[in-house]
Amino acid sequence: MLPMPPIRLWSIEDFQIDPSRPLYEQFVEQIRAMIARGELEPGTRLPSVRETAASLRVNPTTVMKTYQELERLELIVTFRGQGTFVTQAEEAIRQTRMQLAKEAVRRLEETARSIGLSLEELWELSREKE
Amino acid sequence: MNSKGMVTSKGRSAVRCEEVQVAIKRKPILSRVSFEIPVGSLTGLLGPNGAGKSTLMRLLTGLLEPDDGVVELFGRPAGWERLGELSFLPDRGQLPAHLTAGEWLNLASGIYPDWNKGREAELARELGVYREKKIGTMSRGEEARLQLLTCLSREAPLIILDEPFAGVDMISRERISSAVVSEMADGERTFLIATHDIREMEQLFDRIVLIGGGTIQGEFDVETLRMSGRSVESCYREVFS
Repeated sequence: MLPMPPIRLWSIEDFQIDPSRPLYEQFVEQIRAMIARGELEPGTRLPSVRETAASLRVNPTTVMKTYQELERLELIVTFRGQGTFVTQAEEAIRQTRMQLAKEAVRRLEETARSIGLSLEELWELSREKE
Repeated sequence: MNSKGMVTSKGRSAVRCEEVQVAIKRKPILSRVSFEIPVGSLTGLLGPNGAGKSTLMRLLTGLLEPDDGVVELFGRPAGWERLGELSFLPDRGQLPAHLTAGEWLNLASGIYPDWNKGREAELARELGVYREKKIGTMSRGEEARLQLLTCLSREAPLIILDEPFAGVDMISRERISSAVVSEMADGERTFLIATHDIREMEQLFDRIVLIGGGTIQGEFDVETLRMSGRSVESCYREVFS
């Protein structure tokens, strides 16, 4: 039998939480980024809803919603009786990285527009010698 | 929390108060108090000192009867004869100082018919309670953890905690919060926690009831609040400042 993949136990210090935004959204965003940058490796076993809620000290419903959303995004998979794991599907991870890149560029474009520049002009300007 | 439990508990109230009035020595303490707590929720009862929180707790635990209005637990009137259905942690409650934690727990397991030995052992580990330690030599935090252990070792479906963090050190607070959360995740227990310690608890609540000046100032679903860009703390400030 293969050895059980390691469990990743969270602590609230792993996250930056803004109390005036829905908590599950923030957990989804931050766990998504951990998977995208490979900090949470494919196949990593995640702790149960109960363990996660207790270690983060958040309402169990928040963790349930977080896991449901990550499952919908196909970033984690639950096997009955075995637990919840980070997906092994490279395509799902690649898609996520691409979406994160697009979101980042969109934000940068907004910044550029706010100072009257295109994305290319912003990039050029930032590279000029002072 | 299983999905089956969520369905069966849907729409039921663990606590329901309607138009509750209480006066003590002709002085009105609670007036027209109405609110509901759904089964399976972790509700914060928040308000400044003197808001009427403790009087409300006494009504729910059957220590006091309302002059007027309805106080119901799980659809039937509250009262001392309902004590089997609720587990109450009183503010500044005291345990017998001359006993060790283990002696106290043996005593308590004999008092409460719904005591669960297995849960007691598991919670003692989670909360870091040592059976050999004498209650009289415990810090406030250690005693608070033992009190919570006493509360949660019972199988009562409603748990009411009155200021569980008052004078409790940070590590004990964290252990108490974790234990409360695990209990919630396990079944369909309902928690009502009265506190003015908002920062410690705001990520735990799914619902808040704000009480001030003897009446309900607002009831909110916490995630709905956050969707409108407000935190529990900012909502509390808006209502009370």
